[in-house]
Amino acid sequence: MAMSLAQKILARASGRSFVEEGEIIWAKPDLITVPEVSFPAYVKRLRDIGITSFAHPERIVVAIDHEVPVHSTAGAERNRLTRQLAVSTQVGHFYDGIGITHPLVVEQGLISPGMFVVGADTHTSAIGGTGALAIPFGMEVTMPMARGDIWIRVPGTVRVRVSGTLPAGVGARDIVLAALKQIDEETASYNVIEYTGDTIPGLSIPERMTIAGLSIDCGAEAGIVPADAMAAQALQARGVHNAMAMAGDDDAPVHKEIYIDAATLAPQVSIPPSPAHVRDVTELETVRIDHAYIGSCASGTLAELQAAARLLAGRRVHPDVQLLIIPATRKIHEQAMQDGTLNTLMRAGAQLAPSTCGPCFGGLAQLNAGETRISTSTRNDRGRMGSVDANIYLASALTVAASALTGHITDVRSLLQE
Amino acid sequence: MNLIYQGRCWKLDDDVSSDELISARHVFEYDPEQLRKHLLAETRPELATQAKPGDLIVAGKRFAHGSQHTHPFLAMKAMGLGLLAHRLFRPPFRLAIYSGVPLLELGEEALDMFGDGEQMHVDFNTGLITNITRGQQLEATPLPDFLLQIVQAGGGLGYLRDTREHPASLETSHDT
Repeated sequence: MAMSLAQKILARASGRSFVEEGEIIWAKPDLITVPEVSFPAYVKRLRDIGITSFAHPERIVVAIDHEVPVHSTAGAERNRLTRQLAVSTQVGHFYDGIGITHPLVVEQGLISPGMFVVGADTHTSAIGGTGALAIPFGMEVTMPMARGDIWIRVPGTVRVRVSGTLPAGVGARDIVLAALKQIDEETASYNVIEYTGDTIPGLSIPERMTIAGLSIDCGAEAGIVPADAMAAQALQARGVHNAMAMAGDDDAPVHKEIYIDAATLAPQVSIPPSPAHVRDVTELETVRIDHAYIGSCASGTLAELQAAARLLAGRRVHPDVQLLIIPATRKIHEQAMQDGTLNTLMRAGAQLAPSTCGPCFGGLAQLNAGETRISTSTRNDRGRMGSVDANIYLASALTVAASALTGHITDVRSLLQE
Repeated sequence: MNLIYQGRCWKLDDDVSSDELISARHVFEYDPEQLRKHLLAETRPELATQAKPGDLIVAGKRFAHGSQHTHPFLAMKAMGLGLLAHRLFRPPFRLAIYSGVPLLELGEEALDMFGDGEQMHVDFNTGLITNITRGQQLEATPLPDFLLQIVQAGGGLGYLRDTREHPASLETSHDT
């Protein structure tokens, strides 16, 4: 029987040769990621019911990434506990403030195509850009932490076929937002969004991770980009010697197939209060902004920072706009320092903070009532970044940088032509 | 565990997001006694102080969409609230079960049978819902047995506690 890539991965993880869409199975994750916001609380909850050890501690990744550096006494205590418990519970991997979990585990060479990864954080699905199946479970990851497995209803597939060459100023963010425009939550729920088509081979692993990560925001089980030869090579270069190309069967059942013509795609922007409320940038150019942010697991990549730097080189951010830059991992930060990207951005007026999730969930650089930010982060719900009366727009680093220059939401293509 | 709830209907509109239920800035908090103070704090501030165990949240479409945070459901569990909602998306459905919040999924017309402040009686085991105020009854499809077991154990952790001593029982696959 034909299976999607997600089905194949879940079949292996449940010790079966075939799993059928809709059936509930118990599957064993290969990796479980938990940030510091959750880890000590989860351990406490498990201890409260008498569970003091993990089924497979070597499969657990703990990362301090949400509040870096600590700026509260509660956070200081949480980090102390996290460091102590990471040692005493013998988790396999502990990262202390060196990056946001999802890009970090890929950078560290922990991920290969075909893996089943579960995480506490919503945007765990970014890891699906490598051809792994990565599903967020929130606090439910306590179940595989303790037992080694989790129940899951085998998901179906919504396929997004992307074809054509991306025009200048348009990229991975615009592809996934164009997909969210066409996939409502009714369609997405209990399905994995799988990306295919002749545009995909030209996308880097970080770009594919942007697509897979943001796919979760239409209510999907996960986003996944099947691994081609390029993905396998890129992961091998990170030390994953067994990384291989991996895809679903061509005749696996698909609930819905949608098409995106990359060649005619305009920059896309999510408007408040949902990442899935998407417009062409050209419809929004009258919106004034007070803040601009480039960072997060979705867009704090070296390529996004470099693209923003190329646009901002020799220019100044609009005097009424605060531009904040946060590389997603310390390694990206170092690379962007070494190649001059950060220098260029700071000369243009940007502020810089160390790698953290911070602003994405209102933990740093909060917004006041009436303020507007355009951001490369993941969500724009009311109150997400501080006041419930602030407005958050989401877009690519290029669109955010262009808007930071002009003080209003801006079509970057107009600046690229100058 | 008794899955029969009787109390006040707290009727919510469509499209109440997870972050509206409890703001994302409270992600660091996990103490249910703290979280219950934040539930709908901006839009229904009276809920935190007035809701009683047995009360029901009657939600519309796309309830708890967005962030996949357990926090709103931990708060609902701490407050002893049950949930009636339009067909839930996968994350809130799972998180409610995991938190031990009993739920029934209803169609739009069924949800219109309940108004804010009305008295209700709900048997989550059988799916029988009574609007005491209006004297009307309705039968919904109850959760599958396997999920009722998790809710009856008080949620995922209770289920974990109850089943972990018997690893053999964990190997069977469950169909619904």
